[in-house]
This record gives sequence, structure tokens and C-alpha cells, in this order.
Amino acid sequence: MIRAGMDDLSTVLAESLRRHSARNAIRIGSVFHTYKELGEAVDQVRIHVRHATGDQVIGLMAHDHLLTYAAILALWAEGRAYLPLAPGSPIARNEEVLEQAGVRTVLSCCDDPGLRGATLVRIDGELPSMEMPVQHFPGTTPAYLLYTSGSTGKPKGVPISRAAVSAFVVAFDALGLDLGPDDRCLQMFELTFDLSVMSYLVPFLKGACVYTIPRNEIKYTYIHELLEDQQLTIALMVPSILNFLRPYFDEIQCPSLRANLFCGEALPLDLVDEWQASVPNARILNVYGPTEHTIFCTSLEYRRQGGNKAINGILAIGKPMEGTTVAIIDGEGNAVPNGIPGELYLAGAQATAGYWNDPGRNRESFVRIPNLPQDVRYYRTGDRCVQDEDGDLLFQGRVDHQVKVQGFRVELAEVEHHAKGLLSRRNMVVVAVRNASGNTELVLVTEGAEANDRELVRGLKDILPGYMVPSRVLHMATLPLNANGKIDRPAVAAWAGNSVE
Amino acid sequence: MEHSAIVELIRTTVTGILGHGRFEMREDLTALDVEGWDSLTHMSIISALEAAFNIKFKLREINKLRNMGSLIELIESKLA
Repeated sequence: MIRAGMDDLSTVLAESLRRHSARNAIRIGSVFHTYKELGEAVDQVRIHVRHATGDQVIGLMAHDHLLTYAAILALWAEGRAYLPLAPGSPIARNEEVLEQAGVRTVLSCCDDPGLRGATLVRIDGELPSMEMPVQHFPGTTPAYLLYTSGSTGKPKGVPISRAAVSAFVVAFDALGLDLGPDDRCLQMFELTFDLSVMSYLVPFLKGACVYTIPRNEIKYTYIHELLEDQQLTIALMVPSILNFLRPYFDEIQCPSLRANLFCGEALPLDLVDEWQASVPNARILNVYGPTEHTIFCTSLEYRRQGGNKAINGILAIGKPMEGTTVAIIDGEGNAVPNGIPGELYLAGAQATAGYWNDPGRNRESFVRIPNLPQDVRYYRTGDRCVQDEDGDLLFQGRVDHQVKVQGFRVELAEVEHHAKGLLSRRNMVVVAVRNASGNTELVLVTEGAEANDRELVRGLKDILPGYMVPSRVLHMATLPLNANGKIDRPAVAAWAGNSVE
Repeated sequence: MEHSAIVELIRTTVTGILGHGRFEMREDLTALDVEGWDSLTHMSIISALEAAFNIKFKLREINKLRNMGSLIELIESKLA
């Protein structure tokens, strides 16, 4: 097992592959592959990589295939990093990412259209086998490079080092979920989303089996079948999955599940309260963290007996995990005491070294705090939080989703919280749009069939000051989600803006 | 309800959610063949069909849907 700052990622992975060779490592489609098969595929891809390039960061077309996962482990074994590309993404988007990253080689196990400026290397061909020794690499070596959407419209690259990945594994172990070879673990994420890293890496390190979701399946219904029919024991999900399944909770019963983690979005407490009966034996954890701080770094255990902390109906995100330090920073850039809201800053071994080739953005995002020790570099999350007396963090929304209406501050999450209470079970968001006269207006956008708008607005006027009440209600058949499965707020706002004009 | 009326109500319901009617009501039609019929619109289509026919699907029944033929069959069995 990885111990803090000691063992190299590839060494412990190689040991796990060897020790668990007869066990199932991964299920792709309905086919299981053993650790032995995974190990052989890793050796095969290592040879392809050595032949192809000496580059540090290499693109990887993330097909549903054993070779895709083998390629990740192979690149790590060779001291390289992977830049995942989704086969379903527009070619232009993948090319933009490759160009920004300066990546010239892309591994793939399938037929893919060509990508401008990059060489596609097929990794499915058999090559004469070679001796493949385990090598050690410095902790600062990148393990993966992910691109996330940037507020400026240009995606930003986040490199995560081997040491940061190891630090995550150590912190994850400290949660005490105690994964082992008998666990069956859900992997519901695109490899371009860093929650996928936990979903395959932790099981691989423990000899557990990873259950993937075929690209052409409806995700939430497939997850339901996996949970019940394959009797999964560990599942990390985004809360939106529960929103989709909510009308069917009474048909879902997964007694095998022993740990259910949620990450990636604010987790509404009432949603978990309703869901918990479907997973009667699971510890439910709400975990939080930005890509920049390696997968997730705070955790809160949901209490079935009640008394869960929440703000605006959003379950608390808990305490920093092992190795992570948090600070709440006010508008002047100083750390504030518990109980005072501010922007959440993170420091510790899981931190990225900084955005890829982007010194300007790094100066803005990675800072030292005047009234805290100067040898610690903090990352600004842009998330507005408050830390209570017990040290639990409560998420209050994005610092940049705060809007002003007629000079008044409005937290969109607060309006949404109250609207949700009136809309019962309907997906919705509140966005700020600029109306014809140039003022900011709040628009409530609901998903699906016609709501009784007038009643809804009247209900909100009963609860909120006038400036917080959306001036209009619009309906979308489906709220658009971004590549990570979260509601795509900018897209809703753009659509609402056009409708308002 | 007549078979043809069921098919027609499915067609208009799906059209209403997707905002277009650019698909043929073949039995072997799958979501992949239809622009905009993805993981996300699927649930909206299911809800709209439940409302249109005044029926309720089970989650397992939704999981088993493979094409338009199985959808029509499922709805007919619910109405029978």
C-alpha cells in the first residue's frame, strides 16, 4: 500500500497486479478481465509507448476498452503522464486541448479520426514481448493532465503529479472505507473527469473489481442495474444521478452497497434523506474537491439518524482529509475565523504544481496569505464556504455566482433553495441575465412540463425580499449538462438571455 | 387505444421534447439514430410519455428498452 511520501505509484500498482492476478480487475461491457490480463496489456502498451515517443505527456483516446485502462498504467510505468480525450468530444475541442497542452502523440485502441498536429498511435497490435522492469520516478513527475473549463472561455490544463496522486490515496485510506479484493466498485465517469481516477485507481491498488458503463448506455438506469444485479459494494457518484433516479427510489434496493460517495456538485440534504433507504447498509459520504487539489480533499459522513449540517438545503462538505489544509479568506485576502464566510483556499500534498503553461493564471490562483505562514502556497477555489465551530465546512455557492440586483447581493443558491421547496422534485436553476435595459434580472429556468408560474412567483414573494424573486420563469425540456454531468449554468443563462431579449 | 394511435401519440410526444420530428417510427429505431435523443433527454421523454398515456413505467422496464418496437410494446402492455 502507498504510505505517505514513500512508495512510488508504479511499484505498488505492479505489486497489486501480480498479487491479484487470478481476480477480476475490470468489467467492460459485460466482459470481465482479470488482473493477469490487465498486467499483460500494460506490458504490451509499454512497448508501444517506448517505440512511439519519448514525450512526457501523451494523449489517450478514452474508449471503453481494457487497453485504455492498461495505457494509463503503462504510461505511469514509463514515467509519463496521460492527457485523456473523450472520443465523443468534438474533434476541434480535442485538437484545441492537444495544442494548448503541446501534446503531439495520442494513443488509441480503436479507429479514430485524425487530429490536427498529433500522431495517432495504435496500441492494440501485438508486439514481441520484452522484459519490463519496474522503474521509480520522482514524485514531481506528472501522472495526468486534465483540462477543465475556464472562466475565460479557454480551457485550463491541470497537471497532477505522482506525489499528489499518492497523497490522495493516503488520504482516501484514512477515511477508513477499507477497500479490499472482494469489493466491486462503480466507475461511472469519463476519464476526462478526475473522479474517474479514484474510481479505477483505488480498486486497482486493492485488487478490487472496477465496473464501467458503456458509452451508449443510459447512465443512471445502467448504474441502477449494476448496483443491484452485480451487487456493487463501493460507488462514487455525482448527485445528478440521484435527481434522475428520484422518481424510482422506491423500486431501488441495494443492500450490498457499503460505501456511497457523492462529489462534483452540491448535494441536497433532502435528496440524500430520500435516497438512503435504497442503500440501507452504505456509509454515505459527501466529498468535495477541485481538480486542482487531486480528486477530492474534504469529507463529511452523512448521519442516518438525522442532525446533518446544511446551508440552503445543501449538505456540509465536512473536514479536510489527511494532508490537506484549508483556510477561509475574506475580500481583503486575509484568513478569517470560524463562523465567518469567505472563499475556500486549499493547501497540501494534493495540490497541483500550477496550471499547464499558464503563468498569468497561476499568479492569480496560487497565493500566499498575509496573516498565515508564508511557506504555504494556497489554491483559490472560487467556492464560498463557512467553517463552523467543529471545523466542518459548509458550501454556500460560487464566489462568482453572486450577483447584484438593484445593488443588492443575491446568492443564486439561496433563491434556488426556496424555489425547489415550491417546485418539489423538479430540476431547476436560477440564472442572472441582462435585460434589454441593461439591468440584471433573475430568471428561474425549470426542467420539463409547464409549472404554474404565477403561483411559484407568488410563493417566492412570500419568502424572499422582492429583489431576490426571479422576474420570470422559463421552461427547458432538459437542462443541459456539461461534460462532467453537472448542470451547465452558462448554457442555461445564455438560453435564458436570448429568451428574455 | 389503437396501435396506430399509440404510435402517433409517441411520435408527437417525442417530437415535443426534442423540438423536431426528424425520425421515422420504425420498430428498430434506437435513440442513437435520433438527433438529440441522449442520456439526458431520455428521462424527459419517459416522463412525457408517462403523462401522455397516463401510465407509470418501472425503472427496470425503462432499463430494458432497446428500440422503438420495445417502447411501443411496453406502452401497449401498460394500456391493456
